[in-house]
Amino acid sequence: MGITIALNEGVATLTMKLPGRANVIGEPLIRALAGAVEELESAEGLRGVLLTSGHRDFCAGADLEWLYGERDAAVVYQGSVALNQTFRRLERLGVPVVACIEGAALGGGYEIALACSHRIALDSPKIQVGLPEVSLGLIPGAGGTQRLPYLVGIQRALEHIGAGQPLRAPQAARKGFVDALAPDHDSLMAAALAFIEAHPKHAQPWDQKRWSFPGGVRPGTPMARNVFIGAAGFLQKKTAGAFPAAETALQVIHEGLGLSFDRGLEVEARAFAHLATSDQAKDMIRTFFFHRTAVLKHAGLPGVLPHGIEKVAILGAGMMGAGLAFICAKAGFSVVLKDVSGSQLERAQAHIHEQAGELGRLDEAARTALLQRVALTLEDEPIRGSDLIIEAVPEVLSIKHAELRRLQGLLAEDGIWASNTSAIPIGMLNEHSADRSAFIGLHFFSPVEKMPLLEIITTEHTSERTLARCLAFGDALKKVSVVVNDGYGFFTSRFFASYLIEGAQLVAEGHDPVLVEYAARAAGMVMPPLKVFDEVTLSLGAKAFTSRELVTGEALDLPGIDLVLRLVELGRNGKIVGQGFYDWQTRTIWSGLSELTAARPSETGLVLIQERLMLAQLAELGRAFDEGILNSARDADIAAIFGLGFAPNTGGPCAYADRYGLPELVARLSELAARHGERFKPAAKFRDMASAGERFYD
Amino acid sequence: MAPAALPDAFVYDAVRTPRGKGKDSGALNTVAPVRLLVGVLDALQRRNELAADVVDDVIVGCVTQTSEQGSCIARAAVLLTGLGDGPPGQTVNRYCGSGLETVNQAAALVASGFQDLVIAGGVESMSRVKMGSDGGAMFDPPLVLGRGIVPQGISADLLATLSGITRQDVDAFALQSQHRAASAIEVGAFGKSLVPVRDASGLTILEVDEYPRPGSTIEGLAKLNPAFEVMGTQFGLDALTRKAYPQIERIHHVHHAGNSSGIVDGAAAVLVGNAAAGERHGLRARARIRATAVVGDEPVLMLAGPMPATERALKKAGMSIQDIDLFEVNEAFAAVPLAFMQRFDVDDDRVNVNGGAIALGHPLGATGAMLLGTVLDELERRDLSVGLVTLCIGGGMGIATIVERV
Repeated sequence: MGITIALNEGVATLTMKLPGRANVIGEPLIRALAGAVEELESAEGLRGVLLTSGHRDFCAGADLEWLYGERDAAVVYQGSVALNQTFRRLERLGVPVVACIEGAALGGGYEIALACSHRIALDSPKIQVGLPEVSLGLIPGAGGTQRLPYLVGIQRALEHIGAGQPLRAPQAARKGFVDALAPDHDSLMAAALAFIEAHPKHAQPWDQKRWSFPGGVRPGTPMARNVFIGAAGFLQKKTAGAFPAAETALQVIHEGLGLSFDRGLEVEARAFAHLATSDQAKDMIRTFFFHRTAVLKHAGLPGVLPHGIEKVAILGAGMMGAGLAFICAKAGFSVVLKDVSGSQLERAQAHIHEQAGELGRLDEAARTALLQRVALTLEDEPIRGSDLIIEAVPEVLSIKHAELRRLQGLLAEDGIWASNTSAIPIGMLNEHSADRSAFIGLHFFSPVEKMPLLEIITTEHTSERTLARCLAFGDALKKVSVVVNDGYGFFTSRFFASYLIEGAQLVAEGHDPVLVEYAARAAGMVMPPLKVFDEVTLSLGAKAFTSRELVTGEALDLPGIDLVLRLVELGRNGKIVGQGFYDWQTRTIWSGLSELTAARPSETGLVLIQERLMLAQLAELGRAFDEGILNSARDADIAAIFGLGFAPNTGGPCAYADRYGLPELVARLSELAARHGERFKPAAKFRDMASAGERFYD
Repeated sequence: MAPAALPDAFVYDAVRTPRGKGKDSGALNTVAPVRLLVGVLDALQRRNELAADVVDDVIVGCVTQTSEQGSCIARAAVLLTGLGDGPPGQTVNRYCGSGLETVNQAAALVASGFQDLVIAGGVESMSRVKMGSDGGAMFDPPLVLGRGIVPQGISADLLATLSGITRQDVDAFALQSQHRAASAIEVGAFGKSLVPVRDASGLTILEVDEYPRPGSTIEGLAKLNPAFEVMGTQFGLDALTRKAYPQIERIHHVHHAGNSSGIVDGAAAVLVGNAAAGERHGLRARARIRATAVVGDEPVLMLAGPMPATERALKKAGMSIQDIDLFEVNEAFAAVPLAFMQRFDVDDDRVNVNGGAIALGHPLGATGAMLLGTVLDELERRDLSVGLVTLCIGGGMGIATIVERV
């Protein structure tokens, strides 16, 4: 079951095809592989083995359903041990085994390939290979950390496993992760057979007495020691210690190179079992795999309808408008990009050309076609007949109202009007809409070419049909869409603001800005708050404070906001002018900052700062729940991580709250509220959950 | 003038790992030596509820101080424990005496009043860091030729020859070591000191000594070939001993893998302090260190050091051999404890009563500290008072420690 064997002239073809749609590594595949290897061991006249997949993917990795639910380290460990034993038997059959990779070989799937003598992949950028485990809080658990250094060298293996970024087949071949490429199935099989003919007595590098490690760094040498020390430094720089999995990978690779191969596998298996049963791995698997998959399928939403959109008009050719025009054109839509400024349009055109130029895989004709799908205009008329208008004009209510009134008549029949506002409630923007059922918020993130999130905001008037079509539109743009309800700042902007404001506030109170930045990174935040503030520009932040006050009627009276306003007054508007919290020439905190802040408080330090930064965001999360903005914890965790760079190691703010403990969170937030203000006040949502003994996730 | 009374040095606790077979397939092969050491330091801290930064020094015996046991493994281990950054660390090499040497140094520092609370101990992962892989000055040709330095096994066979110890004697002793170790394990005689080695998830890697062969038989042992005969006779190394022992025409090669100490992995730690430190940290003293001794002796015979070391320790303690209730004489080779018993005329019912390194293994730098815990546990079990631990040491040295229960 799961693997078939066909023998032809001494060459066995093993085809992995588990029931269902994919080969995943779990008990069934482990058992099937063991059975297949046993059969091969007793096969007469065996000369070689071809390992292939009967599914689209070669094998996409571990059965995460199983792994996510398993809390017993002994069970996980035994699973690894069993798989390792099978791999060892496979590579000691005494005949060459060729992995024929015609689909993704990731994680455990790539580890199967590593246990083969030779790896041939289809020459296609669509095929991904490699060991992405650390991105789920894991390390490879079936020999990946032990075998890869022999194939690609110690340094490259450290870099790859530590970063967890899969490679596309052509690149994988250049770097030694696969041994050869083949243009199509037939030539791949022919190449595999040729390898078998040419290498009748293949032995794995780790089973040979002498092996020359690619890259020239041999284990146990002073050079190797330096490589490991360097890797530790690089890792710390990248992760600030927030990702123990990458650190464990470093340790396991280091130890394995000093041990016999089989005992190195054991070290890896123990470390894997430990990580796989840790909270961090569970939280990361949940968010990056289950939540992400569910969100991509729009699980829990009324449904998806064909978007029926051919022509998209984008109002406003700023950074966002230009980026949107590009990704829409790339997705095949015909685009009209409109602005009132010719120079703005010119900049937008340059941006679109530059982006198109970076699409290395596009041939010249396709590139030209893409560019021809974008029409730039100062006029209104070309917009006529658009199926979707995305308004991305300045965040001023009167301008947005005027645009709507003037242009909504140009929509095609059944057309949708969307605003890309990042904060203004959609319910205030749709007041003059001719059809509020077809009015929606589509909040994209900058740079839109890279940021995967699309926050979709519906009002009570937005029809299910409009939403269903917009979900399809998001899919067409390859976005991860999260649907939230209307309110100032929706979810993402208010949540993000709480982080930036707390960063500024800590500085204003006199905490060391350098420590504030490091504390954020050490908590796992992708970007430290002051650096992000500088990048989004301080005046935009300042405008947002004013706009928030106008809309909500609540004034935020905080020294941190005064500090931002003061910096704007001083012309320190952020990265765009080369100065803000930072001096961007030197990329260090501006030395004059302390003159604008209070003296260093008596109580400070990394732990205190980190807690303030994280809990300020959690308090805001709670309020977003209380105000009915969020439909689920899933949406919050996905939006925070994919839209805002919230600490990926936590699995998202809701997972973070669970790990903190709801009762502890409520107690701590109450203390912080008493000392630092209402923004820390624990939401009713948290208090209710705490008293009911509930968690966000079981 | 009588010297001023020195403060007592007390043993507060002693822990050790089980010993794993010292080869690739051994249970502890997957555990880096620094982690073996961290395991016993953590256990000592946990069992005695020691706060951070209360230990004045951590002195660790380790013989093969290279690769993973190189730099200063004592300090490296401290930095991976909860002992705080306060305790410094030093790594000591007095060959096979290293583990006991650290106990003696700790006792000396405490008794002198220079330190209050010191952790002694030792570590050796012989499966990961091979014996001799650190090279060494002892292989200097003028030294080898000038003094007639030979491998230890030949010294052991020389000791047997000089003492009239036969192949039957050493095999019988080896078998007894196996039987004693087996019954000690069965009745849990080592339980008090033993700390299981676990992985990061808490899964057990090893919880009992792995090396013993309780099924050994005298016939099986008799079949083993002498390990040092070829080296001694065909390669001529026996000839090197003639300079010092011209009267020995022929060395009887009696030692083999079955009656010599086992190659194993393991670590141990011993908490030593003065009375005030004990009181301050709520510790209960288990024994007082009555005397310590370390001596140099003739280097070709090399392994007779326990005798003069014992004499010196007894003299310092003002005791006679009859005052010692239990002995631990390291079973580097069976001839060593046999020659010891012969020399002092002590019965074997007081010597290595729970077996020794022949059955359990000899993790070079750790053994001395392990034996101290072993004798202390057994004194308590039998409600006896005084124990003596002694080890022979390469290069012709010997070391001894006398402990008395309080």
